[in-house]
Amino acid sequence: MKHLLASCCAVVLAAFSLILCSCGKEKETLHIYNWGNYMSDDVIAKFEKENDCKIVLDLFDSNESMYAKLKAGAGGYDLVVPSSYTAFMMNEQNMLEHLDHSKIPNVDQYFDKKYSSLSSDKEMAYTVPYFVSFTGIGYNAAKVQDFKPTWKMFERSDLKGRTTLLNDPREVIGCALRAIGIEDVNSTDQAQIDKAVAQAKIWKTQIAKFGVDDAVAALASGEFYLVQNYSGDVLQAAMENPDVRFVIPEEGSTVTFDNFAIMKDSAHKDLAYKFINFIYRPEICAENMNVIQYVTPHKTAVDLVDDELKNNPAFTIPEADFARCVPLRDMGEKNTVFNKAWDRIREE
Amino acid sequence: MKKSSFTNFFLGLPSFVWLVVFYAFPILIVLLLAFRPPDSNGGIGTGWTLQTLRELRNPSYPAIIWRTFWQGLVSTAVCIAVAVPISYQLSRTSSQKLRNTILLLIIVPFWTNFLIRIYAWRIFLHPEGAFKHLLVLIGVIPESTGLLYNQWAVLTVMIYTYIPFAVLPIYAISEKFDFSLMEAAKDLGASSFYAFRKIYLPGISKGIWTAVMVVLIPAFGAYLIPDLVGGSTSELIGDKIAQRVFVDRNLPHASALSALLMLGVFVPLILVSCLRKFQLKNQKKAEFMK
Repeated sequence: MKHLLASCCAVVLAAFSLILCSCGKEKETLHIYNWGNYMSDDVIAKFEKENDCKIVLDLFDSNESMYAKLKAGAGGYDLVVPSSYTAFMMNEQNMLEHLDHSKIPNVDQYFDKKYSSLSSDKEMAYTVPYFVSFTGIGYNAAKVQDFKPTWKMFERSDLKGRTTLLNDPREVIGCALRAIGIEDVNSTDQAQIDKAVAQAKIWKTQIAKFGVDDAVAALASGEFYLVQNYSGDVLQAAMENPDVRFVIPEEGSTVTFDNFAIMKDSAHKDLAYKFINFIYRPEICAENMNVIQYVTPHKTAVDLVDDELKNNPAFTIPEADFARCVPLRDMGEKNTVFNKAWDRIREE
Repeated sequence: MKKSSFTNFFLGLPSFVWLVVFYAFPILIVLLLAFRPPDSNGGIGTGWTLQTLRELRNPSYPAIIWRTFWQGLVSTAVCIAVAVPISYQLSRTSSQKLRNTILLLIIVPFWTNFLIRIYAWRIFLHPEGAFKHLLVLIGVIPESTGLLYNQWAVLTVMIYTYIPFAVLPIYAISEKFDFSLMEAAKDLGASSFYAFRKIYLPGISKGIWTAVMVVLIPAFGAYLIPDLVGGSTSELIGDKIAQRVFVDRNLPHASALSALLMLGVFVPLILVSCLRKFQLKNQKKAEFMK
């Protein structure tokens, strides 16, 4: 009996000391604030293993909600992934770290300069491009008869109730501008905006809704036949449903960089630099692209991705389509023009 | 006397502080923000302005306000109409076990997250779903009709969501109702329906009023439901407020809209409660006069 008691005590003590030991050495933690479904779990695990650290991933569904949360004072994030126009605004307000390029040699070595023209931060002073996201049309080839790569598809009455546009003023107005033949998706000229509003209102009579959330899952499940969405998201849906395709309409479209940026108040800046550098390692970058299906502007990694993906024109965007895409920019005070236009699009 | 009011003061203090800090204070902030200018970075500018209130005359608002209003009223009316018979039957059920089981079934949905229940509706009403196929098969609707993304879907899910909120307060009052009063009315020659209308309904009116408030107020502020099951023309005020905060980064405008919504809820409530007090007073007077 005494023996039993003693051994019980020993077991309890051993357990305690184990718990104490594991508590003693706390791993460094990197907090990343990222889009949902935008980074390979395996890549994260590899980085954790290599640097003996822990990554905590928080997700957002739009630049606006991410910005609103950070602006409201949410701290503790080290690395964020804003689109260019949001990063520009965050930098204006001194929220982002000025990058020390000596800590990210892979970026300087491998960044593909042909993408520089799309960036509002050409020197990569405060952002490093992570993915390029083209806005276009995702559609179900088995359900849409006689498909043509044009925004006019959203006027087709035979698809009524089975199409969606993004719930994003800039994307919808930008594409409406392109659809009526105006090159500049950032135009704040009232006459041009009025025409774009009229165009978007025609689309509105045929679509099911303005929505971003899981329109892509809905495309794969056959709920929607035709959606305005981002290239990589549609490709992810195509992995589930082989009938799903992506095109950039012939009138042209919008394109955005989603970038890494380090928060000024980050407590783990070195780890954040290491992470950016890690993602720009060719084989890691390729592995990440294979899962997420967006293109990283990387010179060599694109050659390492799986052939099937590489040969897909929705991944390796043809030069002609590429040239037709214009980046959205933050218009500061003039943003209200788009917001007012959006109110008019949404009203009856 | 003095001592007891002193103790009362201290007993009431925590809830008073709670109300001020977490209720009155935030509302005050919302109201004040409506009079500040916005800055384009999503912050609050300096100084004071009436510009935001002028912007409320946005030509797109009347339609949205009207839609919010009638959807809130209709869903409240339907919820009450369903909750009253349920509560009536429930409080007349003599078997305690059966009663508890039914109550449990009413509460069970709360165990599942609200968001997940909305997504369940989306699966249920999916255009390629079994329910849609069944309706098409028996010829109720043509193939091209969508069940989702219109205001009827919004209304259906709103009613579904708020019914338990209506049942619980009505049942709580109904349970204490003295049903022998109804028997007495019937003994005196009233029909069942007449007794229900003239004796039962006034007897549970307090529960009905609570239910109206508990359903109407969240229904006016609904945001997720129209966002997830609504279509391109089912925006409600809640969605507009969210858009002002996140997309337009215009907190003052969002605050002004919220204040408008609050006024829209509070003013009728205060009017109704004044009216009721007035009625009660008159009633008492009349009784006294007899």
